[in-house]
Order: sequence, then structure tokens, then C-alpha cells
Amino acid sequence: MLEALIKIVVVIGAIMTAVAYFVLLERKIAAWVQDRKGPNRVGLPLTKVRLFGLGQPLADGVKMMLKEEYIPGHVDKALYVLAPISILAAALATFAVIPFGSVWPTDGGPIEFVVAPGFDAGLIYVFALSGIAVYGVILGGWASNNKYSFLGGLRSSAQLIAYEIPLSLGILGIVLTAGSLKLDAVITQQAETGMWNAFVQPLGFIVFLVAATAEAGRMPFDLPEAEQELIGGFHTEYSGMKLTMYAAAEFMHMITASFLIVILFLGGWHFWGLTGSGDQITWVTALIRVGVLCGKIFLVILGFMLVRWTLPRFRFDQLMALAWKVMLPLGMVNLVLVAAMVEYFPGAIVDRPLIVFLGMSGLTLVSLVSMAILAPLGSKQQPSTLDAEMT
Amino acid sequence: MQANDPDILWVEEPKLGLAGKLYLPLIAQGLTTTTRHLFSKKITVSYPDTEPEIANPLIYRGVHRLNRDEQGRVKCVACFLCATACPAHCIDIIGTESPWPDREKYPESFTIDELRCIYCGMCEEACPVDAIELTSLYNLTGRTREEMVFDKEKLLSVHDQTIDKEPMRSQGGATSQGGFP
Amino acid sequence: MAKVWIDDQEIELGDNERLNGIEAARRVGVEVPHYCWHPGLSVVASCRMCLVECGTKNSETGEVSMLPKLVPACQTPAKDGTVMVTNSEKVAHARAFVEEALLIDHPIDCPICDKAGECNLQDYHFEHGQQERRADIKPFTSRRRSMGETVTLFVDRCVMCSRCVRFCREVTGTNELMVVQRGAHEEIDVFPGFPLENKLSGNVVDLCPVGALGDSDFLYSQRVWFMKTHNGVCTGCSTGCSIQIDENQDKVYRIRPRTNPHVNQWWMCDDGRYNWRYIHDDARLIGPSVSDPAVSGNGASSNGDGSGLGLMEWSTVIARVDDDVRTAGKMAVVLSPHLTVEEAYLLCTYARDVDPDALIAVGPAPVVGEDETFSQGFTIRAEKCPNRRGVEEVAAVFGKRLTLDELLPKITRDGIQTVWVTGGYPQADWMDEATANQLAAAQMLVVQDIADSPLWQVATHKMPSATFAEKEGSYVNFSNRLQSVPWAIRPPAGARTEGSVYWQLLGRSGLYQSKIVLKEVASEIAFFRAAGEDVGEHGVDLTIDMLAGA
Repeated sequence: MLEALIKIVVVIGAIMTAVAYFVLLERKIAAWVQDRKGPNRVGLPLTKVRLFGLGQPLADGVKMMLKEEYIPGHVDKALYVLAPISILAAALATFAVIPFGSVWPTDGGPIEFVVAPGFDAGLIYVFALSGIAVYGVILGGWASNNKYSFLGGLRSSAQLIAYEIPLSLGILGIVLTAGSLKLDAVITQQAETGMWNAFVQPLGFIVFLVAATAEAGRMPFDLPEAEQELIGGFHTEYSGMKLTMYAAAEFMHMITASFLIVILFLGGWHFWGLTGSGDQITWVTALIRVGVLCGKIFLVILGFMLVRWTLPRFRFDQLMALAWKVMLPLGMVNLVLVAAMVEYFPGAIVDRPLIVFLGMSGLTLVSLVSMAILAPLGSKQQPSTLDAEMT
Repeated sequence: MQANDPDILWVEEPKLGLAGKLYLPLIAQGLTTTTRHLFSKKITVSYPDTEPEIANPLIYRGVHRLNRDEQGRVKCVACFLCATACPAHCIDIIGTESPWPDREKYPESFTIDELRCIYCGMCEEACPVDAIELTSLYNLTGRTREEMVFDKEKLLSVHDQTIDKEPMRSQGGATSQGGFP
Repeated sequence: MAKVWIDDQEIELGDNERLNGIEAARRVGVEVPHYCWHPGLSVVASCRMCLVECGTKNSETGEVSMLPKLVPACQTPAKDGTVMVTNSEKVAHARAFVEEALLIDHPIDCPICDKAGECNLQDYHFEHGQQERRADIKPFTSRRRSMGETVTLFVDRCVMCSRCVRFCREVTGTNELMVVQRGAHEEIDVFPGFPLENKLSGNVVDLCPVGALGDSDFLYSQRVWFMKTHNGVCTGCSTGCSIQIDENQDKVYRIRPRTNPHVNQWWMCDDGRYNWRYIHDDARLIGPSVSDPAVSGNGASSNGDGSGLGLMEWSTVIARVDDDVRTAGKMAVVLSPHLTVEEAYLLCTYARDVDPDALIAVGPAPVVGEDETFSQGFTIRAEKCPNRRGVEEVAAVFGKRLTLDELLPKITRDGIQTVWVTGGYPQADWMDEATANQLAAAQMLVVQDIADSPLWQVATHKMPSATFAEKEGSYVNFSNRLQSVPWAIRPPAGARTEGSVYWQLLGRSGLYQSKIVLKEVASEIAFFRAAGEDVGEHGVDLTIDMLAGA
């Protein structure tokens, strides 16, 4: 019990701090990409030490907390207050089953780096909670009683439901190879074979990556809160701490998505020749594993942020077409490929990793190229087509 | 309006090649660009730690000045053309007969509300005698609104401050004939 | 019926019309540029700007024979069969060359010239001149001299149209201005010791097509394009000249005559032209007040001067005045001849409403000297008020029309409780102390005026009123011509036009509109019947209807 409480405190503290600093990182990257310097003034409070702007998250936090928390008169008060709470709670609860490393060797047996160890349906738990996150967005949009907010909520529900499917298809491939729903087991399987799932099923990796970005509502899939179109979307009417809760929850979604990508496809804490394998480890190995995991996650988040400043936002019809016409078929192809491999070449991952990698990569390329040739995203908006449709 | 309305101009989307349709190569290309900028030289000027360098002060539009003629008198002839051209109506002139025999009209009072001004430079363009010019002084501050309403003396003092660094744009109007050639 | 062709457009002139080429061209909407010609002056055809091609059309054969040379349109009568071409290349060249010749000597000092913006030379050069200048630009020498108290001459700017010289010879008959020297050295001047000092001198500034003659009063005070022009009627004397009031942001800058063939033609006198400064006098009364015996005891007036005459809100004052007047009973009204017809009518209506037997008197109409008539017929009247006729006719309808002197003994004799006096005279001494005290014998003395006077001092209800530039309404001049004008500027804060006060006292909704009242007046009072139709820019002659009625 005490152990679990300590873990909860450590995880929540770490995640919240990480969120604050990821906000700073995002602002910095935004600035750098645009050839600016970014926030670099706030340092130690009450001194003139600037520390490259590392005090910025603190200042931001204080600012957000001190801001007037205005509740407009036209909102549905109960739901309006509940929405940010639910989204933040769901985002935090996700971390209960996420392993932050492997195990910590102690005299009384190894302690696992996870709040709720031994939970068999970890993946399902994560997905269930991400469903609740959708709730927060839709509730917020609905309760705000504002058409922009409502549109944001609607877009969000459509988008999240659409991308749940490719996301799940991506995971099904993993479950097939790992044979378990436990996140720990997935990592262990990758560590034991040395073949990360990204190499075994690159198509699944691509599908999952895109779908996870969409689920996290990151650029180029941030339609629910498109400032230019919806003046903030579902959180237009929110301010102060409630807005902070939304923002924090979104960053946590990104962190969760990064964790899942790393754990499911990029080998979790595993790195060849560094982290060893199995449970028989020393505390040095344990620390290395945590470091490797965090490093991978940092790189993935960095990638997310770069993508944000690289790609323009999708149009809504393109977004939907991408989900239903591209990602869903590709996910199915991946599932079939993985199922066939597991059925007809069991043990091939261990025996002939190179052949598996090359074969799967080739098949992935074939599927992508045939998808490009079919071009389901092509615009069919010409008047002649419309005429035909209207008659 | 329907989608087949003749008033709608339909623009063909550009045709993408195979790489374009694959989309992933384009993403990689975009990421390369952003990554390159990530490490490129930053153009931010850390004002006030470093003062910005004004590339060409002669075309910078900062605080106004009222130029003096070679005898040190205000060059302005109170023709009101700057006040006429001013889109923000921030120039207020009271013209009267000049005390000098070679000039006919001069501004008894000439005030510019620097807070109301939008620094468009129309006054400079309108001036027939090059009397009003915008300098490269950019850091204009004050503690009260009244302080920011510059009168003739203040505007002439801006001239004295800046004339060494920024010569008058043209000498075309510098005659003793009230500026008219 | 004379048929004339101008630029291929045919017009027919009446049998008694004697038009020159410029006037005939105006009929078809063609403006022939000109400097020296003015409809009110003799023709000299010296500027050559109005040169046009001219010819005759044979009425039998229809054949047109043109004169080989261009002729000045101002000097060419439009006769039957006259054909004029104003838009040919030849004419355009001629105009461009005239412009070029004028600009050889004319300084390019438009930025400091007061005429810029309404200068014929500028406008014509823009429209007809050449784009490039072939002559050297002469420096502006700022040579100027005073022609008289009112007019300054800028020698270099003159284009020698001689309008001002002819004006002094033909209209005023005073002959002050003349052309001295010859050829390129020609200048306008006065004879030493005989400055330009007739009572119409200001008109030469309006006549000058360029900036050579400047109005000393207006000089350098405002650029013309900042000002908005409003029609008005001069209230200086009973001639009632049509005027234009030039104003910028509720400040009058100058007054110019407005062409009205029935009243003042093209001119106005200097008295009317320059006597408007009282509009913006610091001594203008602002802020209404009501003396309150209850308040005067403890000095609790709102302006804190202890006089018991606290400045009050207009709405409160009007309500108080209405209450007090209605409780007081017998009433007498003194109509100022500076009131408009509409205001006089509304005040009389109100007085009748309060007291059916109210006495209506017409205030004094100041007479200064004698009528002054100039050689061409322009007359400055001795009666220095604009609307005595109109006010008298209104008063006559509302009962026995009294003069102020007839009213004074009646105040004590008939036990008048309320006396309502309207002022608005620019003369500060329009009422002496003795008369004021006699009027103050009544229990209540309501005064509406623009400046302090003995009467204002003894009034119990004080309402600052408006000057002519601030009022809309109609004036009837000495010859029974009624002119309606809009307001030009707003009254200073704290003063209100008489009309709007009466409008509110009568409980009418909306804003005071003189047009509505004038319609009422026209239908109620036979004298004003002609004003029932739209009153044009030149006004209507009320006697026409009277004659028809008789």
C-alpha cells in the first residue's frame, strides 16, 4: 500500500513537472524552427539570473493559477466544471499501468517500475481511459454552450472515434506477436528477441504512429482546437486553472502516446548491448533501462514537436478520408501480414530476424505504393462529379 | 449557393507525383527543413540587452523632427499639407505671418500627438519643403499622455539630436524663399 | 426663339435672354474656363481663357460657316444660329497656352497661398494646362502690400484679370483700385493716400480668381479644404443677404456672399462679412439658470457662488420654466426681430397655450444711420435686424401687435405676471437699464439671450440662446422675401437654440425641425402661404401670394 502511494506521488510529480517543461520545450522549438530565440528571460525568482529561461514554467504556472477563473453565465455549470477534471483525471490514471522501466532489485524481491504491477489487461485499460478523455473534450464543448466550442467537441468526437480503429488495428499486431495484453510482456518479448516491433511490422508502426498523433490531437490533427477556425475550439470558454488542466491533459496525452509508441514498437527500455535481458539485473542496469526508456520517449516527443511546426493542419474531410480510406485498410493489411507470419513462420523472428525485417519492409513498401496509386485522398470535388451526384 | 454555381471558380489541385502521393517523402522533406532551421542562426535581437541595428536610418519611420533651415529657423511654412495627409489626424498647426522678411508664413505652434501617430510617413511625403521628417529614433517612451504630445520646440530638438547622424533627405527645399523654388 | 448649338447640343433661348457664350454653354452643362469675366461686371475679354471656336449656321441651307480665329466666349453673344465648339483640339491648345503664359509669372507657392484649394488657376491648370513647364520657375518674392484695412495684395500672384478694378468702378463707384504700369510690369494698386475702404471691399477677395487679394481677416487662419460650407442668411441688416458660412469643427472662419439674384446678387457688405466674432466670444452666455428664492437664502446653489442662480440641467430648467409660467398666470412676450419665423410662431403658440390673452410685442429693431445704396443698386439697410417683417406678421396673427414701448406701461397696469423676452442681438447695448427694470416689474422675467445685458442681470429665468450660425429657420427681409437656411455649427455647450426650447415646452416629440414648423406657419398664416412649398436657395417672395390673394 505504502509502496503504491509512493509510486503514485512520484509518477504524478514527475509527469506534471515533465508537462511544464515540455511546454517550455515546445515554445523553444517553435522559436528555433522560426529562427527566433524563444523564452529566455525568466530564471530564478527575485534575482537577475536568467538560466536560459528555465524558470518560465514556474512563472507560467503561477500566472495560470492567479488568473481569474471566469465561468460564463450561459454554460451548464456542473458539466462545465466536470469536463476538465475528467480529462485530467483520465490522463493521469493512464500512467497507472505504464512501466517506467523494468524492475528495481531489492532484498524483499524486485519492485516493478509501474504503479499497478501485474495488471494483465494493461492495453485495454489504456484504451478505456483514452475513451474517457474524449468525454472530457465533448463535455467541455457541450457545456460551454458556444457554437465554436460545440463544433470543436463534435470534430473531436468524430476524429477520435475514427482514429481509435487504426490505433486498435496497430495494437492487434503487437498482441499477436507478444501473445499478451501486458505492457511489460510486450517489452520483454522485444528485449528477448532483440527485434523491436517497429522492425517486425513497420506498416503497423506507421499506422500506429499516425493514429496516436491523431488521438493526442497534435498537429497536423488538432482540428478540435483549431485557433484560426474555432478560436480555440472546445476550450474557448475556459480560463485560468481549468484551461491549464485541459492543456496539461493534452500534453499528458502526448506523453502517453509516446510511451505507447516506445513500449509497443521501439523496444521499451531495451537497447542492444546496454540493458541486458530478463529480471536478473542489478540496480545499475535498472537505472540504465529507465534512462534508455526516457531517452526514447524524449526523442519521440521531440519528433512530435518538430512535426507540429512542419506540417499544416488537415482539412476535415481529408482527416476523415485518411482515417477510413488509408489507415484502416493499411492496418488490416498489417494485421493479415503479422497473422500470416505468426501462423506460418513461428520462430522466424528469433531465427531469421534480417529476413523478417527485409520481408516486412518490402511488403510495407508495396502496400504504401499501391495505396498511393489508388490515391483515395484525391479530391473528387469537381462540379461534373457533383452534378452526377445531385441528379 | 450550390456547388455547381457558375460564379464559383474551381481551382484544380496540383497533380502529385508518386512521391507526393506516398506523402511520407514529403514529410521527410519538411522535417529536414524544420530541422535545419532548428540550428540556423537566430534573428532575434535581445532588446534591450543589445540595441537593434537599423540598416538604413534614412528610410526608417520613427519619431518626427522639424528641420531647421541654414539660419536655424524652423523650415516649416505652415502649409498644413502634412495635417491634410495625416490619416490619424495627429498633427495640429497654427499658422501665422512669419516674423522674417523673406518668409511669408510660419507655424506659430506645431504639435504632433506621438501616441496618436501611426508612423506611416505620409507627412514626410506631403511636405513641400522637407521640413518634417521621420528619424530613426524608435524607443519613444513617456510617463504621461501630455508628455507624448510634441510641440514645436521638442520637434526641433529632435532635429538637433539627430541631424549629425541623419542628414536631411534632400536639399531641394532649402532655400530662403520659404522653400519654393 | 433663338437656336444655338454648343458642342453639337442644340438649345433654345428665350426671346428676352441676352446670354454670352459662357452662359449659354452653362445651359448645356459645359463649363468654359474664364478669369476676367464675371456676371456682375462689365466684359473686358482680357484673360483669353474662354476662347472658343465660333460660327453661324445658315437657317435655310443648314450650312455652318466657322470663323477662322478663336473668339472669347464672354464677349460673343449667343444669337440665333450661333455655333460654338468648346472641346476641340484648337480650343484645348489655346487654353493650355494661356495657362502656360499665366504661370510664367505666377509663383508656385500654393502651399502657403490661402486660395489654394479654391483657386481657379489651380483648377484650370489641372484641367486644361500642360503637364510640363517650359519656362523657368520664378522664385516667390512674397511682395505684398495692404490695399486697405481689409485686403492685402500679393503682387506676384496676380493674373491681371482686373475684376477687382472693375468692381470698384462699377459696383461701389468708389474707384480705389487701378492698374498701374504697363505690359509685364502691370500691377494692381491704389492711389497713395486713398486706400481701399468702401463698405463692399471684402468682395474683391471673393472676386479674385487667384490668391492675389487676401482677406486680412481670414489670412492664414485655415486651409479652405478643412472647412465645410453651409448656406446662411446674414442677420446684419434687413437686406438679409444670402451668405455661405465656412466652418470647421464648430468654429466659423469666414463668411462669403452666396449668389442670390433677388437679394444681394453676388455681393455682401463688410459689416455682415466681418461681424461674426461675437459667435465665438468668450462672453457668450452658457448654462441656463432659474433664480430660486428658497435657495438664495442659504447659498446652496450648484455653482457655489451664493447668488442663488445655480447653473442647472437644461431639462430641469425647461420643466421649471414651464411650471412657473403656467402657475404665474398673465403673460407678455417680446419677440426679438432676430428670432426666425418658426421660433416666433412657436413662442406665440406657447404663450397662447399658457394664457389665451397673452400680450405679444415685437422687440426693438435697431436703426443705425440711413440706408446706404451703391451705384449698381446694392443697399445696406439702416435697420440692423434680419426678421422684423416676419416676426411682425406672426405677432399680428396672435393678437394685437404691440411695440415694446407700448407694452411697458401695461405690465404694471394689467398685472402681468410673466414677461418673456427674447434677445439675440449682436449689439451689446440693445437694452438699457431703465427698460430692463420696467420689464422686471413682473413677477417672472424669462430671458433668452446670447450676451450679458442689464436685462439678463434682472431676469429670474435665464436661458442662453443661439446666434444665426447655430440656428435653422427662416427670415423675412425688408421686401418680404423669405429665406430658409440650415444651421452651420452647433451652439456652445450650455446654450440652446430658441426653437428647440419652444419645441420641448410645447411637448413635441423628437428634435426641433424648422421645416415642419414652417409648413405649419404657411398653412396657419396667410402671409406665409408661399412658404408652404419648398423654399429654394433663393427664397420665396411672400408678396406674390398676397397680391394673388388680394
